[in-house]
Amino acid sequence: MTLSEKIQQLKTHKVYGRYYGVGLLVMLAFLFWAFFKILTPDNFGSWEALSYYLQYSIIYSVGACGVYFIVTMGLFDFSIGANVVLSSIVGVILSKTFGYPGLIIGCVITGIIIGILNGFIYVKLKIPSMIVTVGLMLIYESLAYFVAKGEKQSLASDLRGLGVAPGNIIVSAIMFVLAYLILKYTKMGTYAHAIGSNENMAKNMGVNINKYKVLGFVTQHFFVGVMAILAVSYGTSMTAVTEMSSMARNFTPLMGCFFGVAFRKYCSPIVAIVIGEFIISIIFNGFVALGAPTTIQNLITGAALLIIVALTLRSVKGTVVK
Amino acid sequence: MDDIILRAENICKSFGITKAVKNVSMSFRRGEIRGLIGENGSGKSTFCSMLCGIHTVDSGRFILDGEELKINSLVEANRKGISIIVQEMGTLPGLTVAENIFLGNEDRFIKCGIKNTAAMNQEADRLLEKYGFRHIRGNSMIDNYTFEDRKLVEIVRATYFDPKILVIDETTTALSQNGREELYKIMKRFREEGRTVIFISHDLSEVIEYTDTISVLRDGELIDTVDSDKVNEDDLKRLMVGRELKGRYYRTDYGEPVSDDVVLSVEGLTVPGEFEDVSFKLHKGEILGIGGLSDCGMHELGKAIFGASENRRDTVALADGTRINSICDAIKHNIAYTSKDRDNESVILNETIRNNICLPSLDKLAERGILRHKKLDRFAGKYADMIHVKMTGINQFVSSLSGGNKQKVVLARWLGRDFDIIVLDSPTRGIDVKVKADIYTLMYELKKKGKSIILISEEIQELMGMSDRILIMKDGIINGEILRSPDLSEEDFIAKMV
Amino acid sequence: MLSQTSLEHNEQKNEKGSVRNLLDRIHINAVLPMVGFIVILLVFAFLTDMRIVQPKSINLILSQVYVLMIAASGVFMVMTMGGLDFSQGSILGLSSIVISYLSFYNIILAIIAGIAVGAIIGAINGFFHVKFRIPSFIVTICTMFLFRGLNAYLTTNSPVAAHVSVTSYNVTWLKMLLTILVLLIIYLLFNYTRLGMVLKAIGAGETAAKYSGVRTDLTKFLVFTAAGAITGFAAFLNVIKVGSITATAGNQLETQILISLVLGGMPITGGSKVRFYNIIVGSLIFCILNNGLVMLALDTAMQQLIKGIIFVLVVALTIDRESIQVVK
Repeated sequence: MTLSEKIQQLKTHKVYGRYYGVGLLVMLAFLFWAFFKILTPDNFGSWEALSYYLQYSIIYSVGACGVYFIVTMGLFDFSIGANVVLSSIVGVILSKTFGYPGLIIGCVITGIIIGILNGFIYVKLKIPSMIVTVGLMLIYESLAYFVAKGEKQSLASDLRGLGVAPGNIIVSAIMFVLAYLILKYTKMGTYAHAIGSNENMAKNMGVNINKYKVLGFVTQHFFVGVMAILAVSYGTSMTAVTEMSSMARNFTPLMGCFFGVAFRKYCSPIVAIVIGEFIISIIFNGFVALGAPTTIQNLITGAALLIIVALTLRSVKGTVVK
Repeated sequence: MDDIILRAENICKSFGITKAVKNVSMSFRRGEIRGLIGENGSGKSTFCSMLCGIHTVDSGRFILDGEELKINSLVEANRKGISIIVQEMGTLPGLTVAENIFLGNEDRFIKCGIKNTAAMNQEADRLLEKYGFRHIRGNSMIDNYTFEDRKLVEIVRATYFDPKILVIDETTTALSQNGREELYKIMKRFREEGRTVIFISHDLSEVIEYTDTISVLRDGELIDTVDSDKVNEDDLKRLMVGRELKGRYYRTDYGEPVSDDVVLSVEGLTVPGEFEDVSFKLHKGEILGIGGLSDCGMHELGKAIFGASENRRDTVALADGTRINSICDAIKHNIAYTSKDRDNESVILNETIRNNICLPSLDKLAERGILRHKKLDRFAGKYADMIHVKMTGINQFVSSLSGGNKQKVVLARWLGRDFDIIVLDSPTRGIDVKVKADIYTLMYELKKKGKSIILISEEIQELMGMSDRILIMKDGIINGEILRSPDLSEEDFIAKMV
Repeated sequence: MLSQTSLEHNEQKNEKGSVRNLLDRIHINAVLPMVGFIVILLVFAFLTDMRIVQPKSINLILSQVYVLMIAASGVFMVMTMGGLDFSQGSILGLSSIVISYLSFYNIILAIIAGIAVGAIIGAINGFFHVKFRIPSFIVTICTMFLFRGLNAYLTTNSPVAAHVSVTSYNVTWLKMLLTILVLLIIYLLFNYTRLGMVLKAIGAGETAAKYSGVRTDLTKFLVFTAAGAITGFAAFLNVIKVGSITATAGNQLETQILISLVLGGMPITGGSKVRFYNIIVGSLIFCILNNGLVMLALDTAMQQLIKGIIFVLVVALTIDRESIQVVK
């Protein structure tokens, strides 16, 4: 039997076939871990360290779960990073007066408002999402600057509970379950895929496209708002940036989201996202352990992602890829 | 209980200055299967789309079961008991079969915002069982099924809620014989249950056989409604076109010899999964027909000859031995191809007529690499006029043309390139009678000029009327060869096709 | 049955009345970006008491426009095909580093090397896009990341400085000449050879283009490579202006190009309605906007807020909704 035939057999196996995707991802994670462990056994990969890598990655996984809804619909949102900046600044400012509730409510409500704004402006003006969110990113970045009055906003040391275990793990787990439930057990899940598949047809079949696109943005930015809570708790402070520097924060969640999209056929996208971000985190930290300068991380991430996508994204031969 | 379920009163619809439907009044009885025929532009599609809520009515009204119909969308039409099955794909990839069936109507499975997926799948399986489509499971992704099976799912989706009126809009052309049988079964069931079917098709023999009555539209007006068992195809054609067409439709010559010069030689051609070991020779000035059921592999054969197949094996070669292995080879050696999938493969919808016509000929039109726009304009204008494309100008976008005129643009572009061999795949599919006649005339003229044509078609009459020689394919292999003769009958074909 | 969307389109087009028909005939969407350009110029001329049209200010605006316009012309071709290129900033950065480094040996060699580096990155983009059938925006985001990391690494210890003589090339006439030359070449190639028609065909209907004999895979690969090479050349103009390359060189160039092209009226999905002047008008609007806001002595955040709002508004007004059947 050739290799591809063997793989095909694995995929359709009655008992194990369902776990093909998860199995593949876990194997990838193990391979990367083993790779770095062999190269630098002392600096990298102990149980403690692994837990640290995981905690680092679930921040992005939470955001990635939200981004998945938008990407599945065929939309693209450049303002994710700006959301993180703006929401966390609002959260920190509110936390000074209201403690934990201020932090949580500030981030989440800001996220939801951003989602509503993005959704409405997109739907009303009928501008492609990629373009309109570039403009909105500029606007949110400047708003963040005004709200922060140009100063760095630091989270009080007794309010950082959500940046470490078990706080961050509990919050993330709740969000993952929520995302899974939305995808599988609500209309939002079905319609997100329907809109992404063929929007016109979905409209004819009775799906209220505009309503669910707005809901998609709200859902995404809600999850990103929670990601902002985790990010600022972990990083302990947030500075407003301009000149589209917030874009840098767009891409790590996006990469996790690509894992979700690529593995959608084989397992729940949420699982793929979580493991995918974990793999990226292993790669990052692996190179740090090797003594590589932090600057090299982007290089490795870009290359690794490109290779992973090349291997996993199987576009049907003959279809048009733009 | 009133026997009339639906009454259309003075329905009018215009798109800008074009009057698509002019004062059409019709009534439909319960348990009636009404055929609706007419050329492209006759208004039959627009009439049905208004009934289904896809378009709004300008004036006039529909009265369904005694009540005036006021709907704005397909979903609302469904709720009133009107349903439609379309020609193109009507299901969404990326979703499960159950999700497709219930899309837009999930509310009955939803409590407090939570969807009971298991119950939905169960109900889908129950319906699929009831229809006899046991090989389709509700919780599988619809991507795992063939186009035909997806159509079956679509049929379930359109009929499971027992609509009062079902519109079948040119669906049969996309189905294999099996699929059509399923559809006819459903139509008969509807009749038995006292429901109404409106059946739109260009296949006149099919319409005559499976309907009770037939309404003919022409230029937006209702011409007549006749009993199906009292008319034949020529009668219908006459009503559709308004003038006598018989005799000057297909070729009328018989017995003329075909040249012995071989222009194309196909040996052992195989595309795994589609067709196998096909061999034949094409002669100069010959019209070679290839017929069969829609999934016999002949469409893929056409692509393979043009060099457009992905994993083709063995050879397509010209008389002098040159192999044709890619689309570029084919075009370079003066082979042309028109696809069954016109909108995606033959024309660029969002481009002008002029750019579409010039595209294959760019290398010839460029003088040392430079293109002059006036020259392109003249070139496009010349060929568009030669074939009488009905347009507002060469800068009109192809997307706004009717099916027949789109096909004319396709032919114009290849005429501009001047081919020796052309593969025509379903060239008259979905095209009205007038343009069909034009295309047949063109084919005969090309033959007289010594061009060779491979005509791939699912319409037996067309093959019988136009070809010098016909190869019949079945399940991927060539199953028979028939020579041109005035004594041919459809039975000769069907025996070899099925 | 005509597909519902195309019928609906006809319905919308015809039912908007005679005013719309008149506007259509004078190609309103073609004219709008130019009108936008004049409006922005007038608005800022007024707000800055005509300071913006002083020679010094014009020179400043122009000095920012060269790199942008040249790089945008390459991306223009990519976007006409319906693709996207987010790696432009990283290409500019890496090519600039290479040029700076080699400027110590031979300036002509340096320029050629810069172009070559750009071409190589473009070829990588094209290769992964065509061979592995990955959407171009994913491929170019990955390469953006990848080469941004490389640039940061190469400038870790200090910015890479070019040879001192390099800034002597920083004269307006030379920069203008080179820019006009590049634009002219691309304009002629796009409008007077097969290139333009082929790219538009791929953008508007790739499958049909393939069946018409267009070598779509090869064309896509070459266009991505060319876009990289053109930006590699733009890097030369960047180097002579700044003299030394920091870690963040070229950051956000890709988004600036996107904004410029869109402001210039280019449809995001490419196809038949693209026009070459989208590049020129768009880049000018972008730079005038940038500089105008600086001149008004607003702080950076306020400038950005205004830029964002104007961007959204301009796009809302000028975007050609007719050729986008489904807004994604």
